[in-house]
Amino acid sequence: MEIAFTRAQRRKLASQIFVGVCVAAAGIALIALGLIMFSLFTKGFSGIDTMVFTHDTPGPDSHGGLRNAIVGSIMMCTLAMMIAVFIGVLAGTWLAEIGGDSKYGHAVRFLNDVLLSAPSILIGLFIYEMMVRPMHGFSGWAGAVALGVLATPVVTRTTEDILNLQPNALREAGMALGASQWVTVRKIIWKAASAGLLTGGLLGFARISGETAPILFTSLNNQFFSTDMSQPIASLPVVIYQFAMSPFDIWQELAWAGALLITATVLAINILGRWVARDKDHR
Amino acid sequence: MASSAAPKKDLVDPIFRAVAFSAATMLLITLGGLIISLIIGGWPALSKFGFSFFTSTTWNPVTEVFGAAGPITGTLITAVLSLAIALPIAIFIAVFLTQFCPKIIAQPISTAIELLAGIPSIVYGMWGLFVFAPWFARTIQLPIITSIPADSFWGKLFAGVPNGANIFTASIILAIMILPYMAAVFRELFRSIPPQVREAAFGLGCTPFEVVSTVLIPYVKKGMVGVVMLGFGRALGETMAVTFIIGNAHGFPNSLFSSGSTLASTIANEFAEATSEMHLASLIALGLVLFLITFTVLAIARALLSSQRY
Amino acid sequence: MSDSSVAPNTQPETPADVQADARFESIIVPPPADSLVMEVRDLNFFYGPNQSLFDVNMPIQKSGITALIGPSGCGKSTLLRTMNRIYDLYPGQRAQGEILLDGENILSPKLDVTALRARVGMVFQKPTPFPMSIYDNVAFGVRLYHKKTKAEMDEVVEKALRRAALWDEVKDKLTKSGLSLSGGQQQRLCVARGIAVEPEVLLLDEPASALDPISTAKLEDTLEELKRDITIVIVTHNLQQAARLSDYTGFMFLGKMIEFGPTEELFVRPKAGKTADYIGGRFG
Repeated sequence: MEIAFTRAQRRKLASQIFVGVCVAAAGIALIALGLIMFSLFTKGFSGIDTMVFTHDTPGPDSHGGLRNAIVGSIMMCTLAMMIAVFIGVLAGTWLAEIGGDSKYGHAVRFLNDVLLSAPSILIGLFIYEMMVRPMHGFSGWAGAVALGVLATPVVTRTTEDILNLQPNALREAGMALGASQWVTVRKIIWKAASAGLLTGGLLGFARISGETAPILFTSLNNQFFSTDMSQPIASLPVVIYQFAMSPFDIWQELAWAGALLITATVLAINILGRWVARDKDHR
Repeated sequence: MASSAAPKKDLVDPIFRAVAFSAATMLLITLGGLIISLIIGGWPALSKFGFSFFTSTTWNPVTEVFGAAGPITGTLITAVLSLAIALPIAIFIAVFLTQFCPKIIAQPISTAIELLAGIPSIVYGMWGLFVFAPWFARTIQLPIITSIPADSFWGKLFAGVPNGANIFTASIILAIMILPYMAAVFRELFRSIPPQVREAAFGLGCTPFEVVSTVLIPYVKKGMVGVVMLGFGRALGETMAVTFIIGNAHGFPNSLFSSGSTLASTIANEFAEATSEMHLASLIALGLVLFLITFTVLAIARALLSSQRY
Repeated sequence: MSDSSVAPNTQPETPADVQADARFESIIVPPPADSLVMEVRDLNFFYGPNQSLFDVNMPIQKSGITALIGPSGCGKSTLLRTMNRIYDLYPGQRAQGEILLDGENILSPKLDVTALRARVGMVFQKPTPFPMSIYDNVAFGVRLYHKKTKAEMDEVVEKALRRAALWDEVKDKLTKSGLSLSGGQQQRLCVARGIAVEPEVLLLDEPASALDPISTAKLEDTLEELKRDITIVIVTHNLQQAARLSDYTGFMFLGKMIEFGPTEELFVRPKAGKTADYIGGRFG
């Protein structure tokens, strides 16, 4: 009996330690998040002023802003999302509504997953080979396409997942009224899934807006303000990279400001996306 | 699956299906194009250096001799190290969130961890280079170097310039980056376990630790291996954060605290400045190697995750 | 999809007529006082703000089978889940009142629930084999409490499997996964796992609802065998099963114990009108 007692105590102690370790692990993640956000704010906040939005990137060791980079990023990301949403929603719809159960469908789904988690720098190499080299020059178009290729699998995946959540009764009801599949999908299924699709789009946008690797050698960089997509164009991530790695204090400060700006944007879009999805759930 | 109920004269559906099918096929073409362009782009280097491309540690743009052994080793070491750090923490977090944490707290913690996943990789890089590396050099690296004889085994293991930009710090930053992904997927795995299994284990008088370690974890074993591979795949291909902090030294890393390079960081660091064709081709060949490694890992991960059904 | 949202049991709506009836009293014909092993006294149970059990009383006879019947959502599973405190897993669920096990109140916050669950085992509606071999499934609970040699453990496992009437079917494949068995075999494996730790009471929550008739018959035989040394409380949807198996039966409705008594009495001469209606198939 006494042995059983100590055994019970030992088991209980082991369990308490285990629970403690689990709490500590969650604590580590929260602390990491806290430390990173703290550095971002203390180092980046002072750099954010009106100049950031009204002036272009400065030359070495002089003052300036990030206007050209912000505009370039917005242009490329918007174009990329147009590509990604167009292809991704259609491909996701095909997987969910038409051919997802076929052998070909399984292959497409698997390869989409591979593309989804492929290192983003490889997408940069791919677009370099496909667009930059043949066209003899870096360009905003190439950057946008690279980001689009990165976002498309995200959109495809979320579209398929969201459409699969829609009840089959909806499809049958549409078909039973004599509507074509196209009308059923467009007017009923996409509509019912609209919040989820929007969330997918937003998450895709959040993912690409902070990406650096695929545009390093597709859109390259441009010190001056430019909206010409056929020329190299500045973007926030590349400017941050270049400035952070530089020896100039002013540049480094601008890099922190840019990093804060881009993190805040990405997190805001992330939260917005979740909120859209959740809000819809509650209704 | 819905079948064609539309009248024959209606061409809308066939067109819709054809367009959707083309979109799906675009994904296939993209991946195919990616592979082909990497092979074609890297071919000059592979055919010139042959097998020595994988075994040589020489990386010299001036003499145009390139070998990938350094970056390949760096990639594998950083990925394995970061996985070793992140894996237990991720499991503990997922267990905490699904088993022990009151629901009111679980939601904000989940959100915080998802936010950690949303921070752009370049920000991790900056934080690593400007905040973490100097702190690490001061408080950990220097004391270790000064207190251990340099020619002992440990001294050799920890040798390096005390600036904090090395393989070990890169691995820690990588670990912080893959942690939220792995924790999130682990959490989903644990949630997929039917609640009756958990109740049955508790019903026998298991302590929470025994429920988790002897019943729940074995229940999702296969899936967990899948998550590990997923995290490994991410760590292998992560580019910007590593480029910032690994020190970008070519050649074979000779200690835990020495600078190094990975496949991805070498490409990011040199591609825009590479002028000679052979240099470019060698960098693209690095990309091909990276693709092959991550593809293998991810394929295994997907296969294991999708076979996790009960 | 969080854990606590999958807590079983719907919360019954409580119509005004039953709830408001302050004079309501359960009709209880208890077993002889010296044969009791467990006793539920004035139990109230809450899922968050919703009350789902109202002043439930139930005496449980040692070494007998007590059955709980009633329409879906009447609280019979909830009652069962209080008896080994499995509801503890879900924050927001709480019980008031007393449940005495050998005179000790198991609802006391000071009680060691782990030890309680070793004494009061539970088998669930769906078979829940753990992801390990048949042998390890049965040995699992025993290993928590006792260090045994291989030979001793072999003996325990064989005994438990024999008592659960599963031995002959699995003796040649003890190292196979528990998940490889058929549904009926899995459920008897869970019974074997539950009795291997030699509990005083075994709770069964609709154990046959997912089984085919033949497996059900085998399971019922097993329970008949077991009741000689283990007290059994079984929740069932199936009136015939309750009538066939049990010594005492409780009929619950809308969270209240309407009538409790010897099974034959209750089925042949029900005292409450509601009981008669339910047994007669007029609702349920």
